Amino acid sequence: MPVVELNINRIRKLVSGNATRKQILDVLPFLGLDIESEIGDEIRIEYSPNRPDYSTDYGIATGLQGLLGIKKGIQKTSIKKKGKFAIKVESSVTKVRPYVTGIIATNGKLDDIAIKQLMNMQEDLHFGIGRKRKKSSIGLHDADKISFPLTYTTVSRDHKFIPLNSSTEQSIDEILANTEVGQNYGSVIEDAKNVPIIFDSEENTISFPPIINSALTTVTSKTKNILIEVTSIDKDAAEDMLSVVISILQTAGFEFNELKISGNKNSTPGLKEKIMIYDPKFTSEIIGIEMSLSNMVTCLKKCRLDASVKGKKIKCTIPRYRFDIFSPMDLTEEIALGYGIANIEPKLSPSTTIGQKNDVTIKTKLLSQTAVGLGFLEVMNSSLTSKKVLYEMTKRNSSEIISVLDSKSQEHTILRDSLLPSLLDNLSKNIHESYPQKLFETGVVFSKGKPIHESINLAAVIAYKDTNYSEIKAIMQSLLKTNFKIISQTKTSQNQELFAKGRHADIFVNDNKIGEIGEIDSNILENFRIRTSVAGFEIKLSGLIFD
Amino acid sequence: MSQVFHDIEKKILETLQKTPNQTPEQLSKNTELSIDQIRRGIEWLRLKDLALVNESEKITFSLGPNGLDSFKNGLPERKLINMLKDKPKTFEEIRSVLSGAEFNVAIANAKKNAWINIEKSNSDSSVSIKEKPIETPEEKLLSFIGEKTISQEEITNPLAMKILLSRPNYIVQNTEKSKTISLTDAALSLDTSMSSSGAIDVEADVPSVFAARTHPLQDTIDEIREIFVNLGFSEILGNMTQSSFWNFDALFTPQDHPARELQDTFYLEKLESKNPASPSQIKNVSSSHKKNWKYDWTLSESQKMVLRTHTTCVTIKHLAEQKPENARIFSVGRVFRNEKVSYKHLVEFNQIEGIVIGNNTTLRDLMGIQKEFYKKLGLTKIKFWPTFFPYTEPSLQTMVYNEKLGKWIELFGMGIFRPEVTKPLGIDKPVLAWGGGIERIAMLKYELDDVREFYNNNLSWLRST
Repeated sequence: MPVVELNINRIRKLVSGNATRKQILDVLPFLGLDIESEIGDEIRIEYSPNRPDYSTDYGIATGLQGLLGIKKGIQKTSIKKKGKFAIKVESSVTKVRPYVTGIIATNGKLDDIAIKQLMNMQEDLHFGIGRKRKKSSIGLHDADKISFPLTYTTVSRDHKFIPLNSSTEQSIDEILANTEVGQNYGSVIEDAKNVPIIFDSEENTISFPPIINSALTTVTSKTKNILIEVTSIDKDAAEDMLSVVISILQTAGFEFNELKISGNKNSTPGLKEKIMIYDPKFTSEIIGIEMSLSNMVTCLKKCRLDASVKGKKIKCTIPRYRFDIFSPMDLTEEIALGYGIANIEPKLSPSTTIGQKNDVTIKTKLLSQTAVGLGFLEVMNSSLTSKKVLYEMTKRNSSEIISVLDSKSQEHTILRDSLLPSLLDNLSKNIHESYPQKLFETGVVFSKGKPIHESINLAAVIAYKDTNYSEIKAIMQSLLKTNFKIISQTKTSQNQELFAKGRHADIFVNDNKIGEIGEIDSNILENFRIRTSVAGFEIKLSGLIFD
Repeated sequence: MSQVFHDIEKKILETLQKTPNQTPEQLSKNTELSIDQIRRGIEWLRLKDLALVNESEKITFSLGPNGLDSFKNGLPERKLINMLKDKPKTFEEIRSVLSGAEFNVAIANAKKNAWINIEKSNSDSSVSIKEKPIETPEEKLLSFIGEKTISQEEITNPLAMKILLSRPNYIVQNTEKSKTISLTDAALSLDTSMSSSGAIDVEADVPSVFAARTHPLQDTIDEIREIFVNLGFSEILGNMTQSSFWNFDALFTPQDHPARELQDTFYLEKLESKNPASPSQIKNVSSSHKKNWKYDWTLSESQKMVLRTHTTCVTIKHLAEQKPENARIFSVGRVFRNEKVSYKHLVEFNQIEGIVIGNNTTLRDLMGIQKEFYKKLGLTKIKFWPTFFPYTEPSLQTMVYNEKLGKWIELFGMGIFRPEVTKPLGIDKPVLAWGGGIERIAMLKYELDDVREFYNNNLSWLRST
């Protein structure tokens, strides 16, 4: 989950209404925000990816005002329609990144902390609804450095401009090759010959979406008027993104002026609120509390939505930036939050069902108990293990290997097809502990099937200087005979690298091979640096004691 | 402390208390124990600081063949003097009595003692007594030793002994090593009759033995399973390898969502599920995605095989296939995350997941089940916070107060399946779902601060926990 760093005094100022530090800290979790750490006035907060507006203190303050009852309902955004601000879209963008949207935020002021938060929020939006800038991406510019109207078009890769955080002109190809953002997100525009670009009326490059802005329009703490532009392959996603930034800048004190958008299926964003009329009976049934309609309306307003009673139903108005609200179920959650999760009393209804363990669990446990009775200690190993332990050190056949892609851990790359290798690895890591060592494990092993077959195996090993084939065979037979009354035979088997020559066998029950048993070969023991004798076996339980 | 003695030790102690300083042979004789038993007993007592072993060397002397001859007949030089008593004799005359070697020795020593004069002539030399020879210290020593064996301490004239030792075969020197056993002061005053009843040292340390046991994490899983069963839940099992359809698509996670990417999820190399679900399930799920998330859903993306990232894929599949009217179901098993392993993250861990469908499926019921579950685990100070999960709405998490750590800890998550999840699968009733990682609870139980310990299989930990 993403994290945002906040200053509690800044939050208090934004919330206003004399909320105390304690009130704020107490209410934060009930907005769904986890306080990760609290050092002096600085707090780190984890927020959910479905609420990008909570990535800044402005968004959090808006939420807190609602739950604390300081301000309720939607904060209305008024957008001035008149003005010189416009962007024209040329048809060449259709193939690469067809949509652009935006707005002008005016007469505001951002300090360094606010700029930093906005940049972080931008990255969050890029990652989440922007799908790593592929679906949509955002740019903030100092509008006073721009001559309107703008043009959204494409340019060839040798087009040059001075990108953000640079002082020299670079071509598109150079930017993609030399800058960090170019390397990270260059794949979004793939190998398009011509790439998206925004020019102003004096043909200054403003932005090269979705990669980088121009240095010309860098936003600083002196910026008063901001151009927000969003480019996208999905018109709705672009407007969703824009609406989040608008809601934040509004709390920060900005006013808004429309950016007229025209050309090639593009249009000026409506940023209309969503209206939902729904039956509140559903909410009472879900939460388990009989609530009056007016109470529900209050709860919704505390969550910064607008609501009113319409006969036996509720009409709810949802601001555009709350695109996490899909259906009445989402409104039910908002009502629960507005009601206060802490105010909902847990209720224990008697169960009308009788609980039961799975047959596999019951029988595996029974077998484990016998193994313990025979003096074996249970170990637990990962099903995802390494090629080294599973195949190389044990010299086992790796032709049916099942690998995962791009594991971050070298020790976890292969799904195990046998338990014995890990048990040998366990012995290898315990050579300083006293002997005898007797270990067993029950667990899932994997083999290629349609597409993968999973079965449950049991394996056991004995390690100390005098152990031998006869001892492990006696253990194996006793294990199967106790409780399960299974009589097993051992039959001479083909030589295998894992076991010592002439001292291993296949295990049979009713003419079906269920496993292998033997003394571990001294070369294998050497690979594991085990300096004593080891005998072991592995049997397949699936198909033997359960299906 | 009451001392415990073996019978052997007791017998040795008793005889030494009566007669101190005995050799092992003497002890063997006095106790009627074999010499081996005595040696063992002495060693035990010595380790208990009750017996002292004094090792000594004893040097003795007796006469060799030449010495015995001289004792009986006198030294060669004395024999010579006796021959010369009456008158001087020539070498030839002397040689007729004293053999070659004896002759040389006799002449040399008599000369050295200044007993004789030798006059040389052309034909032969003549030997005469110079003065009356008195008894030498060597002769005194020879007659003192006689046929006895004497000890070094008995020798009063060491110089004489040194001279005799230098003459071949006169003296036989014997070095004899000997051991005597004595008791320490503590042992002298011990009352050995005290332990004659067979009492043992009940306070002494004994060697450790280790119980075979089930794995502590397995014990925690079993304990939690038992609680679920007691709350009326029945267990279902499911595969760890799942199609993306059931792990993600069926749970309303859009195909282009970053959570599905390689960095979080283990995809299986070159493996896909041809028919991950029934045609109607695929049709309904894909249209829910298209309608709500507005993107191009593809079948091939849902066919990719993954290691399940949660057990929810098992429970939702069960609901979609069985469509129970009224049920409490749970599933427990391994889940996977492609993360770097650290003290708080594993790539593979255990998760438990419970669902309720049918009667009593309100948020309050969900919270009530949690409260009861934690109560059975001994956790009574709990509270609920809102949170976010992609497939439940509303979503909550349980916070549990840990007295030892002095803080609130996040445990299981819960919620009601979104209609966007249940409707496409033909489930038209609310479904409560809740669950979480088991290792986190086990860490609290076993007071571990490194989750990797559960899978290290370190015998010293397993044997002592």
